[in-house]
Amino acid sequence: MSDKPPATPDPVIRSERIFKRFSLGQRWEHWILFLSSLILLLTGLPQKYRTAGWSQQILSTPERLEFIQAIHHITAIVLIVLALYHLGWAIILMIRRKLSDDILVHIQDIRDFGQMLAYLLFMRKKTPAFGKYNFEQKITYWFVFFGTGIMILSGLILLFPIAITHVLPGSVVPAAKLMHSTEAVVAAIFILIWHFFQVHIKRLNLSMFTGKLNEEDMRTYHALEYERLTGEETDQTGDGNS
Amino acid sequence: MNNLRQRIALPIWLATVLITLGLFVIISGQARASVPDQETENYCLSCHGNPDAKMVLPSGEEVSLYISADDLQHSTHSQLGIECEACHTEIKTYPHPEISYQNRQELSQAYALACKKCHSAIYEKAQDSIHAQVAVENPEAPLCTDCHGAHDVQKPDEPRSRVSTTCSQCHSEIYGDYQSSVHGSALINEDNPDVPVCTDCHGVHNIQDPRTDQFRVDTPELCAGCHADAGLMAKYDLPADVYDLYALSWHGVDVSVYKARWPTIWHDSAVCTDCHGIHDILNTDDPQSSVNPANLLATCQNCHPEAGPNWTAAWTGHHEISLDRTPILFYVQTFYASLVQVVLWGAGIYVGLEIIRAIVNRIRRNLR
Repeated sequence: MSDKPPATPDPVIRSERIFKRFSLGQRWEHWILFLSSLILLLTGLPQKYRTAGWSQQILSTPERLEFIQAIHHITAIVLIVLALYHLGWAIILMIRRKLSDDILVHIQDIRDFGQMLAYLLFMRKKTPAFGKYNFEQKITYWFVFFGTGIMILSGLILLFPIAITHVLPGSVVPAAKLMHSTEAVVAAIFILIWHFFQVHIKRLNLSMFTGKLNEEDMRTYHALEYERLTGEETDQTGDGNS
Repeated sequence: MNNLRQRIALPIWLATVLITLGLFVIISGQARASVPDQETENYCLSCHGNPDAKMVLPSGEEVSLYISADDLQHSTHSQLGIECEACHTEIKTYPHPEISYQNRQELSQAYALACKKCHSAIYEKAQDSIHAQVAVENPEAPLCTDCHGAHDVQKPDEPRSRVSTTCSQCHSEIYGDYQSSVHGSALINEDNPDVPVCTDCHGVHNIQDPRTDQFRVDTPELCAGCHADAGLMAKYDLPADVYDLYALSWHGVDVSVYKARWPTIWHDSAVCTDCHGIHDILNTDDPQSSVNPANLLATCQNCHPEAGPNWTAAWTGHHEISLDRTPILFYVQTFYASLVQVVLWGAGIYVGLEIIRAIVNRIRRNLR
């Protein structure tokens, strides 16, 4: 959680507390999600744009097409295992009544969004105080959560169209093709605009890789969580540094 | 006086003779140009008009030497004034020189060269055809005269159905299929000017083997030649976007890639003829049609043997996405059309506002 401050604070030595933010398991999940999605995107785009010249440069022989499809399918299995692990772990935690509701969407998130918008439109001086995950991060999580679900389900329909249509109506096949193809590109562009801006440009936030967040970032960006963990008041954030 | 008369008598006489000769030459020349006199035709027919005239080749084959005067005189060549020796170049008079052909095939091949004398471009084209390729081994492969006739040469496409009956002389089984197809029956029964005859799809003189990979991947464009022609299709109340919609389909994209990159690699993704049939194409409303809803599943199962009854709806056909026909697809498309707008505009505007606010904050701090 946090390193305890020294009993007698030295006025010269400034101690900074480091907060644990993500477990090793969560960091592994992020790595696997990131790498598998990247491989799926890179092997999927040439298949989506097969009539384009650049795609035909890559898929220059039928064997290459088969090869790239094999990579796509194997990587998809990795992603499916990851998704099942993620859901399974959540269910286990739920049964043990240990599932944190930090990532769930609350009414407060909608209020935060309104206040943040007011701040961005110069109608408020300070950003709202956020908990462990702010609404921007929740949007990212749930977008990826449902996006991955759509990609996996539609991908399975495309992989086993004949078996699926013994149960479901035939038009789910072209529908799945449309979903798989569109969702992938929307998700990729969204992550590029939204997530990359927030973790690389707005500030460099590597907590998903290190697992830790320093005290200053915790006070500034997750004030409510800081107060909850330390019991200390923050003078509230939003000096406009957000 | 006598002197004068004697002096002018000779020039007048000479002038009269020259003018008379000149007139004679001009008049006779005009006569030649306006009416082909076909002197040799009748001369040759004096023997070859005998229905019993024949000869036996060294191979033992019997060749009839009879030429119907009626056929000959109504042939395109005869009416243009082209005479017997134009083709039978070695025969100048009677008795004829010794023949050197061992059999009927040699004789036919030698006379095909006679066609080349005038029709050289067409002759060269025909040398690239499947017929010329098989002629090397197969004595039955057609030469010029097998399709066009010899002494009875006529325009090959008058009437249009003549083309198909010409091909049917050898390809009788295919002609049988074609005859009852939507194309063939319109040609034969209605003399329809728009439906394809054999040569419209197969080419005229440079007919290619239609069983190759290349011919297969070229099939959609071949059919599109008529079926993407809006004016022509409107005449028969048929949609003209079938090709464009096919090109967007799974089959169509696959085939277009093979056509562009690997035309010599066989590929099974369906082209028009795999579902609609080839020479036996029927109207989709016809209960016998392979793409009639009653028969569609069986047609799909030719390539997708495991497919169940729901499978046919996976093929959205040559139809745009619509609420009536494909509701699931319609809702998915509508959902994504709005989701794309909301997500990308929303994220873009929000991030844009954040950037503006951050820049303003930084300026304010520095001005403080």
